[in-house]
Amino acid sequence: MQRHILKIPFIVFFLILLVFFYLLMIDRNPSKIPSALLGSKVPNFEANSLFKKDKFYSSQEFTNEITLVNFFATWCKPCKDEHVYILRLSDEMGLNVIGINYKDKAEKTTKWLKKLGNPYSKIAIDNNGQIAIDWGVYGIPETFVVNSEGIIKYKHVGPITKKIYKEINLLVRGLQ
Amino acid sequence: MASTLGNILLWLSLLFSVLQFFNSYKKDNQNTLKINKIAVNGLLASILLAFFLLIYSHVISDFTILNVVQNSHTTKPILYKISGVWGNHEGSMLLWILVLAVFNYFLFKLYNNKNTIFISKTLEVQAFITIGFIVFTIFTSNPFEVIFPSPENGLGFNPVLQDPALAIHPPLLYIGYVGFSAAFSISVATLKLNIVNSLPWYNYMKPFVLAAWTFLSIGIALGSLWAYYELGWGGWWFWDPVENASFMPWLLGTALLHSLIIVEKRQSLQAWVLLLAILAFLLSVVGTFLVRSGILTSVHTFALDPSRGIYILAFTALLGFYSLILFGSNSKKYFNNNYFAFFSKEGAILINNIFMIIVCSTVFLGTIYPLLIEAITNNKISVGEPYYNSTVIPILIPAILVMGVGPILSWGKQNKSEITKKIFPSIFITTIFTIIFFSIYRLISPIGVVGIVLAFWIISNNLVIFYKKINRSFGMIISHLGVGLLILGITGSSVWQIEKIINMKTDAEININKYKIVFDSIEEVKGPNYLALRGNFLVYDKNKNIITILKPENRFYPITGNFTSEASIHTNMLRDLYIVLGDGNLQKGWTVRLYYNPLVVWIWIGALVIFLGGLISLKNNIKKLA
Repeated sequence: MQRHILKIPFIVFFLILLVFFYLLMIDRNPSKIPSALLGSKVPNFEANSLFKKDKFYSSQEFTNEITLVNFFATWCKPCKDEHVYILRLSDEMGLNVIGINYKDKAEKTTKWLKKLGNPYSKIAIDNNGQIAIDWGVYGIPETFVVNSEGIIKYKHVGPITKKIYKEINLLVRGLQ
Repeated sequence: MASTLGNILLWLSLLFSVLQFFNSYKKDNQNTLKINKIAVNGLLASILLAFFLLIYSHVISDFTILNVVQNSHTTKPILYKISGVWGNHEGSMLLWILVLAVFNYFLFKLYNNKNTIFISKTLEVQAFITIGFIVFTIFTSNPFEVIFPSPENGLGFNPVLQDPALAIHPPLLYIGYVGFSAAFSISVATLKLNIVNSLPWYNYMKPFVLAAWTFLSIGIALGSLWAYYELGWGGWWFWDPVENASFMPWLLGTALLHSLIIVEKRQSLQAWVLLLAILAFLLSVVGTFLVRSGILTSVHTFALDPSRGIYILAFTALLGFYSLILFGSNSKKYFNNNYFAFFSKEGAILINNIFMIIVCSTVFLGTIYPLLIEAITNNKISVGEPYYNSTVIPILIPAILVMGVGPILSWGKQNKSEITKKIFPSIFITTIFTIIFFSIYRLISPIGVVGIVLAFWIISNNLVIFYKKINRSFGMIISHLGVGLLILGITGSSVWQIEKIINMKTDAEININKYKIVFDSIEEVKGPNYLALRGNFLVYDKNKNIITILKPENRFYPITGNFTSEASIHTNMLRDLYIVLGDGNLQKGWTVRLYYNPLVVWIWIGALVIFLGGLISLKNNIKKLA
């Protein structure tokens, strides 16, 4: 009996390592964090908009088409990396993309978009990070897909890569 | 140039550790010692040189080296150029190996004419661990990798990490983690050689465990101090996976340290101690694996690279399988059936051991539970503060009660009326202290009362022990006192913290506790490598005297493009006032977060006292060995 007890540490250790190995082997993305908002309506907010004088009211958006919401900033390096995919989603897929400019300067953003191209139909300014808090944003860039009824269907933390681009592509086709 | 030299030094150190491994493996005694002397000193010298070379490269901003480019910048202050060496993955691995080499050297110093075989076996295991980490560093995390063409300047260093507490936090933590490697090696050597009762292996193990535990304690405390003033969330412990990765070996280390005392005095529990020593080091390595592999995300996660994760895991598997199978087959000889009296010093230590193991398992479960769930169901969940608070704290309460009374008890069985007589003074003092405390603070909440009673229970027990000279281990008394102070701080700051988050324009005022805080002005300031917006907040006490001006800052580091907010804190023995400046502008005002944190400073005073106690014990234990 005692002999078997002595093997327990080994067995437990072995099982835990097995799980770790499995997690390392599978193609897994630790930055995919579930959102409590998935499946629920977009949070209501209003904000100043970039380029336009009138305010941005979330209640007037997300009503009749699939919309991509992208939190971005010019100081965030990964945002620059993913920008090309945001452009493709907007130009090639014809998606309505709303940008939320997180803790940034208006002049900088304007310059940045002029240089890289502007994929956004509207841009809301989130100076104090309040919108990001309401949306449960972990860190930028972060992207949400909202369906035509204003329900959040997808969330991705981190820059959009080729793989994520394809994922969004498939998802949007499914929603349509 | 520096890169070539660095690589040569790394390979040289590998050569020395391989030499140590094979030399310790063979049985010939006379030459073993001589050759090991060369190997041990050679390893230490080459890795020390490599480490200084990397520091030098960082200091002179040698941008032919990738590691310098990725983590440094010419405008960075000199202190952070140096601490930047271990603030990144590659450099920190070099530091890890350096600490391994230092402990290796101390193990070598244990040689005497009676223990040659035993120390050789220990050095063999230690060499194996060292080889594993050097190979890992050379092939997956080489700090001396070149970059061509070399850029004009570096990418800079994460400004959140540019901090004095964080500059010394990793080295202290590594002394802790790596110190357990020596205990591991001694444990494996003991199991392998079957030296029941012929050699006091536990006397050799104790100073290493004591050193590891002492430095791990202060390392964790510094990390939490950093999180407290740098992250700007008003708290000091967040149950982050990385914090847990250091807390778990600490818990096992605590159990190990106390069990070693029983082994020393009674020669029982030997098998248990051998197992704990193995597990403490394995947990340290698994902790490193969790942090470095990218399997968990956290603020501490360094650059993700799957090959690193697989390597560390494979190495951990190797160490774990070998040592635990060895334990399964050989530990039986270290069993004895000396049963314990419940009401005795060894009884108290054993009970505390069990509590420590339960807490450690609970934290471990909370850390890997999301991973287990994900592996099985593919769903992601997160386990946070509520889990830990509702599981860990109830287990710790009885553990602390026992901790207070343990040192008062004597070894072996004793009758209960005698125990009552012994602990009566501390019950009395605790009651007095608690009544005084609450008559001043007048903030009674059930959990607060429990915490304060526990803190005073530990403090008064140790005062009694000291006064009556019940126990002569001065280091122990100091450390236990430190734990009492620590609990005082933890209770005060978590039970009675006040948080206010408001929008403030200049000249606005707000009351927090009995203080009035006026937002006087805001100004732009220029630091060495950042620009900042600084708010000036006047703090008035209830007699309307200004007691301080708090100046929280919002900093922008142009090189890395980071924004950070620097909390401004006014500390005294009774409370901290803590202000963080958020976003805003002149017209709309700024978001301001204010905290009133009672007794929080006692957390770090307590940790420092624990550390000092540890050092005193360490000194005495080394003296005993010599």
